[in-house]
Amino acid sequence: MKTRFILPFLSLSLITIFSGCDKELDSSEVVDVDIELTGATKFVISATPIGTSGIADYLLTANSLESGMITTQGNGIEQDGSYRYYLTHKNRFFSLLYGQGNPGAVTSYRLDGAGKLSKLTNFQSETVHLFAPVKDDVFTIKVPRSGNEFATMFRIDARKYQIVGEQQVNIVKLAGNGERAHFTWATQVGEKLFAPYMSIKGAAPDVFGTSYPDSSWVAVYSYPDLKLEKIIRDNRTSYIGAYFVNGLVEVDNGDAYAFSFAAATNAGIPTSKNPSAVIRINKGTTEFDKSYFFNVQEISGGYHMAGQTYLGKGIFILQMYPQPNSLTGSARKFAIVDVISKSFKWVTGLPADITRTTTINNYAPKDGKTGYIGITTASEGSYVYVFDADIAVAKKGLKVEGGTITAINALQY
Amino acid sequence: MQIKKILLLGILCACVIFTSAQNRLSNISGQIKSISGEPVVGATIKIHKTNYGTITDHNGSFKLLDIPFGNYTLQVSAIGFKSQKKEINVTDGQPTVFSFNLEESSEQMETLNVIGRTANQQVNRQAFNVTSIDAKKLHNSTLDISHALDRVSGVRVREAGGLGSRMDFSLNGFTGRQVKFFIDGVPMDNFGSSFQINNIPINLAQRVEVYKGVVPVWLGSDALGGAINIVTDNTMKSYVDASYSYGSFNTHKTAINAGYTALSGFKVQINAFQNYSDNDYKVTTDVAAFNGTYFRNQVVRRFNDTYHNETLIASAGVVNKKFADQLMFGLTVGQNYSEIQTGARMISVFGDWHRKGSILMPTVKYAKKDLFTKGLDLRVNGNFNFGTEQNIDTVYRRYNWFQDYKEYPGAGSERERSMYKFRNNNGLATTNLSYTVDEHHSLSLNNVFNSFNRRGSDELYPDAEKYEQPRINNKNVLGLGYKYSASEKWNTSVFVKQFYQSNKYSQSYNPSGNWGDVAYLTQRNSYSKTGYGIASTYFIVPNLQVKGSYEKSYRLPETDELFGDLLNLEGNIDLKPEHSSNYNLGFSYQAQLNKIHRFSFDGNVMYRDAKDFIRPSLNNNQTKQVMGNVANVTNLGFESEVRYSFKQLFTAGVNVTYQNLRNNTRIEQGQTMQSPLFRDRIPNMPYLFGNADASLFFNNIGKKGNTLTLGYNVLYVHAYYLSWPSQGTSDTKYDIPRQWMQDVNAVYTLGGGRYNIGLECKNLLDNRIYDNFSLQKPGRAFYAKVRYFFSNNR
Repeated sequence: MKTRFILPFLSLSLITIFSGCDKELDSSEVVDVDIELTGATKFVISATPIGTSGIADYLLTANSLESGMITTQGNGIEQDGSYRYYLTHKNRFFSLLYGQGNPGAVTSYRLDGAGKLSKLTNFQSETVHLFAPVKDDVFTIKVPRSGNEFATMFRIDARKYQIVGEQQVNIVKLAGNGERAHFTWATQVGEKLFAPYMSIKGAAPDVFGTSYPDSSWVAVYSYPDLKLEKIIRDNRTSYIGAYFVNGLVEVDNGDAYAFSFAAATNAGIPTSKNPSAVIRINKGTTEFDKSYFFNVQEISGGYHMAGQTYLGKGIFILQMYPQPNSLTGSARKFAIVDVISKSFKWVTGLPADITRTTTINNYAPKDGKTGYIGITTASEGSYVYVFDADIAVAKKGLKVEGGTITAINALQY
Repeated sequence: MQIKKILLLGILCACVIFTSAQNRLSNISGQIKSISGEPVVGATIKIHKTNYGTITDHNGSFKLLDIPFGNYTLQVSAIGFKSQKKEINVTDGQPTVFSFNLEESSEQMETLNVIGRTANQQVNRQAFNVTSIDAKKLHNSTLDISHALDRVSGVRVREAGGLGSRMDFSLNGFTGRQVKFFIDGVPMDNFGSSFQINNIPINLAQRVEVYKGVVPVWLGSDALGGAINIVTDNTMKSYVDASYSYGSFNTHKTAINAGYTALSGFKVQINAFQNYSDNDYKVTTDVAAFNGTYFRNQVVRRFNDTYHNETLIASAGVVNKKFADQLMFGLTVGQNYSEIQTGARMISVFGDWHRKGSILMPTVKYAKKDLFTKGLDLRVNGNFNFGTEQNIDTVYRRYNWFQDYKEYPGAGSERERSMYKFRNNNGLATTNLSYTVDEHHSLSLNNVFNSFNRRGSDELYPDAEKYEQPRINNKNVLGLGYKYSASEKWNTSVFVKQFYQSNKYSQSYNPSGNWGDVAYLTQRNSYSKTGYGIASTYFIVPNLQVKGSYEKSYRLPETDELFGDLLNLEGNIDLKPEHSSNYNLGFSYQAQLNKIHRFSFDGNVMYRDAKDFIRPSLNNNQTKQVMGNVANVTNLGFESEVRYSFKQLFTAGVNVTYQNLRNNTRIEQGQTMQSPLFRDRIPNMPYLFGNADASLFFNNIGKKGNTLTLGYNVLYVHAYYLSWPSQGTSDTKYDIPRQWMQDVNAVYTLGGGRYNIGLECKNLLDNRIYDNFSLQKPGRAFYAKVRYFFSNNR
């Protein structure tokens, strides 16, 4: 009697057992061997759909930035999350994590012989607040905004995909003014590493506020041993770059130009008395050139800079805040400057309802003329805009359907 | 607002006055029990040819007040029982006391027996879309409340790890604070981490009610998507339920529930429980060397995941007094300790970071039936939580999964250096007044007042304390409900809820720029919203019930959503409440064949149209997150359950839930063109899942009266994407793989239920199961439980 019911009971369990087993895990390893390049270029565009929860970045590829259309709809390599940053170095593409304090995986990619973006490997790194190609490395720094007084610098070998050097920096000691030195970016200048920083209180509730709004600082480190050599200071403008924004560029002749947006705040209110301007560190020196001062705010009619893209030959595309004497608003304006001759021209041909632009991850072939910037508008979506510095005109290039452009990179195959 | 309150009170008073005043009256009272001695809840008592009638309370007791002298016929009826009549004579002097022992009626009772929810039939027969779990049937298992809920259709409990781990509760796609929890009708919002559904043992509960989408007015809260009510009331006069279990990962759990009511009316109750686990289960993960390279798919043990909590709930007072049916004073004391093994991804591994929490909560409970007049019942509850929560991350190390670590000099941390400790100073008062006009009409008025005043400090940063300003928040939810019971077959409830919240917050700033100079900017805001709903049910035949309900629901923004957390979350004082229109339509049917095969079917279709979801996004300069009303979501879903049983020997059931959650945000914030994600399926949310269970009962095993039960339970969750399904090349997308989780158990009961031995095996096949992306849950685990249970209702 009872067995009549044990049997179906058992067979039911067995059926479920068979259908309920796990699959084997894939543990194949990828080997990174250099192949002969054909000389062709592919652009890697990272895009994020506009939305709230569940947002991820997608890596899309295109042969040209000048025209055409790509989409994230059913297309693109999904990234784990959208707090990610991208960089190419030594013909490899890196997808870095902004981990909000957590360690996380960095993924590296390359183009295969057919020009297809393929994943190489994952390796672990810390949260990045800045990343830069320096010599053979991808150089990153994790900078705590409060609490811990140490920032950690990492040297990640761009072909071994592992951390080959690490350095702790006491950022309170480095600031030396009771506040914290919060690195904005790092740039290889000559054989050294130049790391501009902002001074921040680092205490709730005014974490990013400062009592020192009218100074610029650049910490100079030896490379690869990352010894602090000097702190370069200046008092004509404000700090260089911004949170997650590069403000220091070495131009073709070896001089380094530093861009200050004069955006220091205290309790959320802008407090810098100095103008948004460009200052210079001459080749081979570790001093700001006191004879050089390019007052961009003045020449533009009161506008603060918000970002820069280097096109080569001393020519830059500047992103400017939309209103004079203001540090808010997303509908950015654009200008072409020659930092050597201190010339300034507004760029025409741009849309009015800009909601997002790519700041640190633009692409320029370094011909002194052409630049590509991702621009999203409220009404038309996202396009790569092609800038012509000679005539100070921008026009629509590649359309990126489905999301905001977060980075434009190029790889060869 | 004020006028409404006065008006409502007026209506109630008027109703009270009409029913009083007659002379030569007496009272009738009594208790209705089944033959086996269990009180019969919700039985109907009627006096023939009059309008007098009532229903029994949770003790099976009833009272009919102010009955004119005379001879009457008293009729008692209850679902599942044969009706009884008794001739009575009401005269002067002592109130007339009756006791009935009802005989179970074979047709209905046996049908209902199939379901395994007999004790909950009254709850399930409500017009609301409610599922009630008979917790008593699970008292020999090692489940906590959350795992019991996980077997209810429409519910998914997503865990980040093992015992005590972070848990996301979702009900029909609503998550987090959109679903509210109650214990005996009292909101659990701010009980803290020491007393939560992931640590409360199932033995504390008599039953657990899950209200989907439409929440009755007596559960007063701003629940957007539903509410869970844990009912602990033990009606027995004296009882002891003591159990201990031990199992894999060094898991120990103890629960003791005892109560005693003296003849004098003095009552004392103790609930104590403890959970401990090392949670050192094995996981498969990539392990990073300190140079960043991964050893892929290593099997390693978790090592910083110990969890324990100890909680004691004690109360004492009096029952069945003239001034109170119940007046109890209590104290809940508890603490918990929880190590944090991982961040949001398994590869973020921590070795020392941990959290602590405590609860210290005095409570008072007062209940009186027939206050001033027959049919007017009052319930009052109050509590205040002095408990604290603390986050401790002070060890400057980086661990990997091999438990190796790299230590750095200086004052650092694993994630964010902190010893931040806060106290929410949460006070709560609930008042419920219900008035039964007659057997057709009843009214209820419910008010919940909630106050919150967070104070926190960090001993590592004593200077920062002066920046810490009180965040004060007062919330009041007032509800009025009316129930019309036209007949045994049809009843309808309508209700309105008035939500009011006021917030005061001072933000500090530095006015001069000099170090240490602080000034404050006070911000205030308040909300007032009115929600409403209706629920109706009709019994086409006694075994076939249809029910429909609707609620326009609100959830008010929480303090940190409004004001930020000062560090990573920026405040947004302009937030609007989230709101939703929730519709339910369901039926239930029971059938039987030759009294041998019994079936039951339940089906529900629901629709949710939720707007202004509060979600985080990056602020303008991308340094902080800020909350916004940015998402609209619809959900058209169904859930159904089928059960079968054969005699008293075998029972099995299956439930399935499908929810079609769609993004209904046509235009994203700041855009003017249609979002490419419009109408896409909401990612990272299970949408197809189900449970199946089967049990075999063997009677008289070993000795006459002893029973052996063999049980099997399986959970299936269909795979779902971490990110929006429409985006990206499908073979590159991250997903949460499908889950098959199979559990088996055996329970041997001796001494007529007094002694119980249970054995369980969870995740029988040792599958890698995940509720959250990459966060693996425990593999195969074994548990044994012994339990002693005794109760007496003398």
